[in-house]
Amino acid sequence: MGRNEAAHASASDVSGDTEEFDPIGTLTLIGIYFVILVLSWVYIYYIEFLGRDLIVVG
Amino acid sequence: MSEAIEGDRTFADEFPAEARVVRAALLGSFLALTLGAVFGIIQTLHRTGVFRGLISSTDYYTSLTAHGVFLALSFTTFFLVGLFTWAVVRSLDRPLIDIRITWTWYGLMAAGMTMTGISILAGFTDALDMSADVLFTFYAPLQAHPMFYAGLAVFIVGSWIAGADYFRTWLAWKREHPDDRIPLQTFMVLTTMAMWYIASSAVAASVLVFLLPWSLGLIDQVNPTLTRTLFWFFGHPVVYFWLMPAYLLWYTVLPKIAGGRLFSDPLARVVFVLFLLLSTPVGIHHQYLDPGIAEGFKFISMTNTMFLLLPSLLTAFTVVASVEYGARQRGGTGLLGWLTDLPWRDPAFTGMMLAGLMFAAGGFSGMVNAGMNINYMIHNTIWVPGHFHLTVGTAVALTFMAATYWLWPQITNKPIYSRSIGLVQVVVWFVGMALMSNAMHAQGILGVPRRTAEPEYSGFDYPVMFGGFEELNVQIAIGGTLLFVSTVLFVGNLVLTMGNPKVSGLAEELPPALSGPDDAPRVLDNLGLWVGIALVLVVLAYALPLAAIINRGGLLGPGVGTYPVWFAPALDALANAATPSLGAITDAAASLVEVIR
Amino acid sequence: MHIHAYEKVWLAASVLLILFLLGSVTYGAVGPGIAMVSDGESAIDPGGIDEDERFSEPRVEQVGETEYEAYVVARQFGFQPDPIVVPANSTVTFYVTSADVIHGFEVAGTNANTMVVPGEVAEITVETDAPAEYGIVCNEYCGAAHHGMEGKLEVVSQSEFDGGRNGGDGE
Ligand code: HEM
Ligand SMILES: [Cu+2]
Ligand SMILES: [Cu+2]
Repeated sequence: MGRNEAAHASASDVSGDTEEFDPIGTLTLIGIYFVILVLSWVYIYYIEFLGRDLIVVG
Repeated sequence: MSEAIEGDRTFADEFPAEARVVRAALLGSFLALTLGAVFGIIQTLHRTGVFRGLISSTDYYTSLTAHGVFLALSFTTFFLVGLFTWAVVRSLDRPLIDIRITWTWYGLMAAGMTMTGISILAGFTDALDMSADVLFTFYAPLQAHPMFYAGLAVFIVGSWIAGADYFRTWLAWKREHPDDRIPLQTFMVLTTMAMWYIASSAVAASVLVFLLPWSLGLIDQVNPTLTRTLFWFFGHPVVYFWLMPAYLLWYTVLPKIAGGRLFSDPLARVVFVLFLLLSTPVGIHHQYLDPGIAEGFKFISMTNTMFLLLPSLLTAFTVVASVEYGARQRGGTGLLGWLTDLPWRDPAFTGMMLAGLMFAAGGFSGMVNAGMNINYMIHNTIWVPGHFHLTVGTAVALTFMAATYWLWPQITNKPIYSRSIGLVQVVVWFVGMALMSNAMHAQGILGVPRRTAEPEYSGFDYPVMFGGFEELNVQIAIGGTLLFVSTVLFVGNLVLTMGNPKVSGLAEELPPALSGPDDAPRVLDNLGLWVGIALVLVVLAYALPLAAIINRGGLLGPGVGTYPVWFAPALDALANAATPSLGAITDAAASLVEVIR
Repeated sequence: MHIHAYEKVWLAASVLLILFLLGSVTYGAVGPGIAMVSDGESAIDPGGIDEDERFSEPRVEQVGETEYEAYVVARQFGFQPDPIVVPANSTVTFYVTSADVIHGFEVAGTNANTMVVPGEVAEITVETDAPAEYGIVCNEYCGAAHHGMEGKLEVVSQSEFDGGRNGGDGE
């Protein structure tokens, strides 16, 4: 307990790992999230919001 | 690694004095959570029309004020100071400068919140000539009892001293370690507190210069747009003040529980710096529909707000990647198959992951809130509580509860009473919030307002969509009930845990990041520079709007009256003020006044 | 500083997303012409609105061939005039102010929505289509009977509107 990260994270300890690990699952998940975000936005802005009565024009 | 030597000593063993403070802060936080949840269920059942027998519709606003203040200010902030005290001491591996100062700020915060809390709760009884039914945003010219404002001021001053405590401890550490990088957790604490100083200065000014003197009768009137703007100067960054401790846990504790380590320390630092820079110059996005503020200022605020999405989107990637790394260390394979190799039986892990998932959904409704003109559709509808119960109400609250299952043993040496109940608890919260929040969003699109005791009106019906108003009310009521049950499970589990005997061997080490701090440019640690830039951005964003507001309405308002909601005679006057042409409504108000008496 | 290639991809996608959101809002402003409540109206003395030329008598007034102005006062706990009656297929500008505390003015289920702040006049212009009835709610907490604060917006046919006006009544 009570160690600090700085003291231990020497370059030799970590740099090797970094190159080996490609978070492809993360990229996939976040890609799906991106698509959901864009589709939901298109629905809520262009269909729901712009389709309502009494749009404020001034 | 020194794990073999260190591994068997918990935080409570190494820093017993600090552990006591952390425990006190967390207990204060959970007391607020309990009270907040009681008001939460009362108002959920009331506004959905399921059960209105417990409070009158007038008292609804007393309950709502209590819910907002206890949860959004008290629960979050007490947890934050507890967590930060743990994080600073743990990551610097040294005690705080002077524990008496630490107890001083704790005492001030507790006293301040008690004062504010009493002034609110007194609204439920006629025995005391005191109340503060102004909601947690306290927009003038509605006026609370002076103790409400005074308590807030004391609470904020306490939090400032807490920040100073962390900064001084870090400076002392720096003298001992002149060449070391700031440990990540301390870095997160310091950037958060720097942001807090900038943000809370405005609300402190609003309270001390305008609202408190006004409630004491020293000045006659205030400028409602000015005090409102000062509130939101604070009110947006405060949401990051709630969120950043959750981020701290996602970055530094969640990867460890997942069996891995943080993906990138430098990016974590960049994210916190971005929050420090961008959190404050955006508050006007809460005032998109305010008259008296130029459209140009609103547009600038929106642009800043949209770029403030960046640190959260980056966080999503880094945190999920850290978890994926953990899963692969545990033998996970495949494009997504590794998801099954995670410790889903661990309530701390599952709770934080579900909190993160809800935050992703909240990200969407937040984008809608941020989009300047689409605000016409959802402003002040119940869509907005739907949104922030995903963010502060789950991303933050559920992360705090989940983290408690991991942290509590570290600061007490007592194992959690039942981890299975913990698992049930976090899942029930998730399900309850999914129901409640989803239905709130849908009702918001129908136009159902927030902050109202009886959202059904006599003169019209809401359009029918998504199942319609009534059906959505049922969903909200079921969701709210599940949330209340979940809170009871959490608090009950913790109380039973406190009865457990102390044991040894609970210590957990936090591993360093995959890409460590040496990879991060040194300039990231130059806090003075970032605070300087943050201040420049705040001045750029706020100097002109504030000048324009003062220019229009004056420092003390264009003849705006005073509307105390804190003593009965005032309510009388207020009912009389409604013109006779509003006959029916005035009668209703008058009979309400009767009820209050 | 080392950033993983995938993370760079995500960073780029995030920036694109932000630009897309800003682009949508900008499109809404220049395409359909959505304007924000702004500071075009000068400040007003809320104590003096009973003498004010526009607000002493809250009403709907014709100002052009198909253009109307509605002067609306919000106060604890109602709106004046109530109902607000306007003709179909016209352009209506609402001027809304408060006699006491902060209120909201929301035509439920539509995009007409604004804060009503004492000392300020909120100005929003909308275009009405076919005849319809809408509820108006106060969507900012304004005191003990806030939940009772509602009104009505009636969009009626031109002939009904003219008839109603001659009759000197809203309906
Ligand atoms: C037991 C769980 C909870 C329930 C049943 C619940 C229910 C509700 C409901 C129904 C409202 C809307 C009231 C209205 O606008 O009329 C509300 C408002 C609110 N809730 Fe919760 N909530 C819960 C937990 C939380 C948590 C954990 C937080 C934050 C940490 C939170 C923060 C808020 C805030 C800030 C408001 C807005 C108050 C206002 O408009 O002034 N709630 N809650
Ligand atoms: Cu905000
Ligand atoms: Cu109102």
